[in-house]
Amino acid sequence: MPDEAALRNPGRGLGWRVRAMVAGRVVLATFGGYAIAALSTAFLSLALPMVRSEAVATATLLSFAVMVGAVVWVFSARTLGRAALGLAIPGILLGGGLWLAMTFVETVSPA
Amino acid sequence: MAWLHTWAGLVTGWVMFCVFVTGTATYYRTDISQWMRPELRAAAVEPGLAAERGAAYLKVHAPKAVSWFVSVPQEDRPLIGVYWLDSFEAPIQQAMLDAETGAPTTVRATHGGDFLYRFHYELQIMPVLGRWIVGASALILLVALVSGIVTHRRIFSDFFTFRRDRSAQRGWLDAHNVTGVLALPFHLMITYTGIVTLAFTLMPWGVASAYRGDELRFFVEAGQSPAWQAATGRPAEALPLAPLMGRAQAEVSEPLEMVIVNNPGDAASTVVAVFEEPKGLAHRHPQIVFDAVSGAVINRLGTLKPAAHVFTSFLGLHEAHFAGPALRVLFFLCGVMGSATIATGHVLWSVARAPKPGTAAGFGLRLVRGLNLGTILGLPIGIAAFFLANRLLPVALDQRATWEGGVFFAAWGGAAILGLLRPHDRTWREMGTAAALLFLAIPLVSAVTTDRGFDFVGFDAAMIAIGFALAWGARKVSRYRGSARARPAAASKSLARA
Amino acid sequence: MTPSSVLLNLALSFAGLSALCLAMDRHHRAIFHGAPSRKRARALRWTGWCGIAVSFAAAIITADWNFGPVQWLGSLTGAALLVVGLVSYRPGWVRPAAVLALPLAAVAAFLA
Repeated sequence: MPDEAALRNPGRGLGWRVRAMVAGRVVLATFGGYAIAALSTAFLSLALPMVRSEAVATATLLSFAVMVGAVVWVFSARTLGRAALGLAIPGILLGGGLWLAMTFVETVSPA
Repeated sequence: MAWLHTWAGLVTGWVMFCVFVTGTATYYRTDISQWMRPELRAAAVEPGLAAERGAAYLKVHAPKAVSWFVSVPQEDRPLIGVYWLDSFEAPIQQAMLDAETGAPTTVRATHGGDFLYRFHYELQIMPVLGRWIVGASALILLVALVSGIVTHRRIFSDFFTFRRDRSAQRGWLDAHNVTGVLALPFHLMITYTGIVTLAFTLMPWGVASAYRGDELRFFVEAGQSPAWQAATGRPAEALPLAPLMGRAQAEVSEPLEMVIVNNPGDAASTVVAVFEEPKGLAHRHPQIVFDAVSGAVINRLGTLKPAAHVFTSFLGLHEAHFAGPALRVLFFLCGVMGSATIATGHVLWSVARAPKPGTAAGFGLRLVRGLNLGTILGLPIGIAAFFLANRLLPVALDQRATWEGGVFFAAWGGAAILGLLRPHDRTWREMGTAAALLFLAIPLVSAVTTDRGFDFVGFDAAMIAIGFALAWGARKVSRYRGSARARPAAASKSLARA
Repeated sequence: MTPSSVLLNLALSFAGLSALCLAMDRHHRAIFHGAPSRKRARALRWTGWCGIAVSFAAAIITADWNFGPVQWLGSLTGAALLVVGLVSYRPGWVRPAAVLALPLAAVAAFLA
């Protein structure tokens, strides 16, 4: 992670700031990554132009690659702020798309 | 990226080592189950008759169940397996019946290879917590794999490189890289497909949004499950199963595997004939659904749409049911390499942070070392104890299967505690030797307590091979642990020089 | 996916991977006490990749598109492990083993 490396004082060990940033990335990657994957799954299940069961299968299959991609992004972004932004923007877009899809696409009510 | 790989790998490695080892063992699940039921000998029974005997037992013991499942005798498990659900929320219950009499079998009670199989995907922690731990660890492992590939800059030039004569750290790193890279397609495939087997537990949001949570409806629309018909409440006499199964078998070329009876005794009862997977990667079972009272065919399940086909192919790849004996050996080898990648990674982590001579190891390092020992040697010790218990526990013991599982956990736990308490360097050699001896004892104990002669020579040979491999591995670790410093290059002979 | 078809794949993959391994400076030096000339390295690399391609073709022919790719990848892993083992512990055996792999492959092809 670029910024933590720059902040580290040689010979002084890890300060609390560095530890906090690392912890921040871990939390962001875990919850943010899962959230992005979940949102994309829900959204694509409704939005993909296929039969409903096919859309769910496709979206679910892809979701794990999405999550891993998000995690790798969080740890390779230059700063923690950028990492968060890189998740927040797609998150908001997906969330908006999901809301639209749920309003306009027919879903089944439980039997 | 290197940081991510190291820490993701470390955190998930202890769980994933166990998942890999038990998963690799599961490639031979049926062989293990056969070995663990030595009294059982193959009996040829007509599947339709077996289904009727199973249903007869269930009619007496589970008449109010919401679903019956009868698993017909297989070549590797010549028993009738009956299972039932009293309600959708109740845990599934089971019994094993003798194939010819239909009465509960007198063969020693054991879970057989299924014990290791269930440990593999849910750590014997039910109902869902175990699957969540395994699933989450597998996702983190995927992150570790991807970051490992990105970090390994010399992945091609070091492809065949294994420097045994340099420093300990170099040797362990090379071992980690070689086992990781040579089987990389397998590692990526098995991890991703493994996550897919737990897909709807880990990621139910597609079903939640498109089906409002009705998971059964999804499986019905995907062509993988027949639709559920609610019970009418009116009792009705069902037709005998054998003729129905005969009709079903006439349509399908694969052998019958299981018979499901939904709402038994009801007017809306249905009978589902489930057949084995046809040749191909996709893990799908042809099914024919009959009305239980009239015998009419209600539904046939066969081909799948593209995405569903891909999905079931991922499941098929993971379970490798399609693999013939030679290919199965290769899969087993890849699983062993995966376990080795994780184990060498953990040993490397602790060797790379070995304290300078004279200083003591910190708490973190001591914890990691103890966990390494407890997992890498503890789990094999548990498995060996499990097999030995199968031979040594009295056949008529009450709750025998639970006792076998208890021995597994007790042996593992004991080894783990010893690993945390005893001086580290010596314990690798001592416990490794103990593990090796336990495995070598298995064929001996088996020969003394059973009378199958050479029927299980393959299994016995595998136990001996594992025993020697453990002894060799533990010797390697104990020798290097003492001298973490680099050896002079002059001491190396003709082997790999950079 | 018969045992003989798996053996065929293993033998071909082994021959190909050994050639690729020997094409590398480090390993060539360990076995032949000298780096390979550019021409030799190129020839070895070509042989190696051809071996792997033939192995792939053999897998598809004997095990069809369903299982062939899986079998091919599995055989590459098994063969690569063998190459690494020999190069690390018995480097003198690598060349004879690679040469022997070819008639072995022929026998396996006949049986498959």
